[in-house]
Amino acid sequence: MMKVLFKKEVLENWRNKKWIWVPLVFILLAIMDPITNYYLPDILESVGGLEGGAVIELPTFSPADAIMMSVSQYSTLGVLVIVLLSMGIISGERKSGVIELVLVKPVSYTKFVLAKWLSLLLLVFAAFIIGMMASWYYTNILYGEITFSMLLAVIFYYGLWLLFVCTVSIFFNTVTQSPGIVAFATIGTTAGISLVTSLLGIRLAWSPTNLSVYIQELLVTGDVSSELMYTTIISIVLIALILLASIYRFNRTFIRRSQ
Amino acid sequence: MEDILHSINWAVVAPLIIIQVILVIVALIDWTKAKNTNGPKWLWFIIIIFLNIIGPILYFLFGRRQQ
Repeated sequence: MMKVLFKKEVLENWRNKKWIWVPLVFILLAIMDPITNYYLPDILESVGGLEGGAVIELPTFSPADAIMMSVSQYSTLGVLVIVLLSMGIISGERKSGVIELVLVKPVSYTKFVLAKWLSLLLLVFAAFIIGMMASWYYTNILYGEITFSMLLAVIFYYGLWLLFVCTVSIFFNTVTQSPGIVAFATIGTTAGISLVTSLLGIRLAWSPTNLSVYIQELLVTGDVSSELMYTTIISIVLIALILLASIYRFNRTFIRRSQ
Repeated sequence: MEDILHSINWAVVAPLIIIQVILVIVALIDWTKAKNTNGPKWLWFIIIIFLNIIGPILYFLFGRRQQ
């Protein structure tokens, strides 16, 4: 049953062309900054126009900086793309009434939510992993070596943050019927968490938004700090709780309606 | 300007351009097949063609109408 629902979602993403454009956009996001920063001195020189021999000191970037450029693009534009492409994933179907056609059949509501969640994750993670591979390739060519195991570590730990964003979006999808509100609430929640995290500082050291901070440390020092371990555990627990809340919320909405 | 065209290693930059071209082509194929879009169809054509990179993405996110 679960398999059928999941296959239907994956097929739908294929028909929507999401399987084409999402990976392409994630590759673009990952490689744009490393390439631009590499050529920035040339670009500035050719644009010229600086009179009197003004000298601009450009920072030189390490391979770790280059990988972090891709990660920070994902933190802003990547998250935005994820939120916008997932905002109607359940809520849109409720609004248009398509969901009734599916739920009329003897479908478990829990499995329905799980299939939606998994199909979103499959798409986002395929795009994210391909994008990071491209970033890694360019980093190695233009800036210097990053080991493959380090790349895998970045993909794993930063993937947790993207997993968190996807799960929050699924949760709001089960709460409201309006895709706009889903997008707004998801961005609001992630922005709110990072604001609170930066305000409380050390007392919220294990907040999921700190994952990228610890990843940067990991790239520089080369070993996994205890903060990163605890943040990972906290993130996984939060993701599980939000997922359970979405399933509960969705079940309640539709069971009540069918009675 | 001449100098920079020579100094750039095209093998490095080409993927950026190719990806953008693929995005535009896929968006246009989808656009021609679509019976109707959110908002005027001709407007989406202009957005896809003239807005660099984000044009096709905007079309996929907001222009397509779910059947």
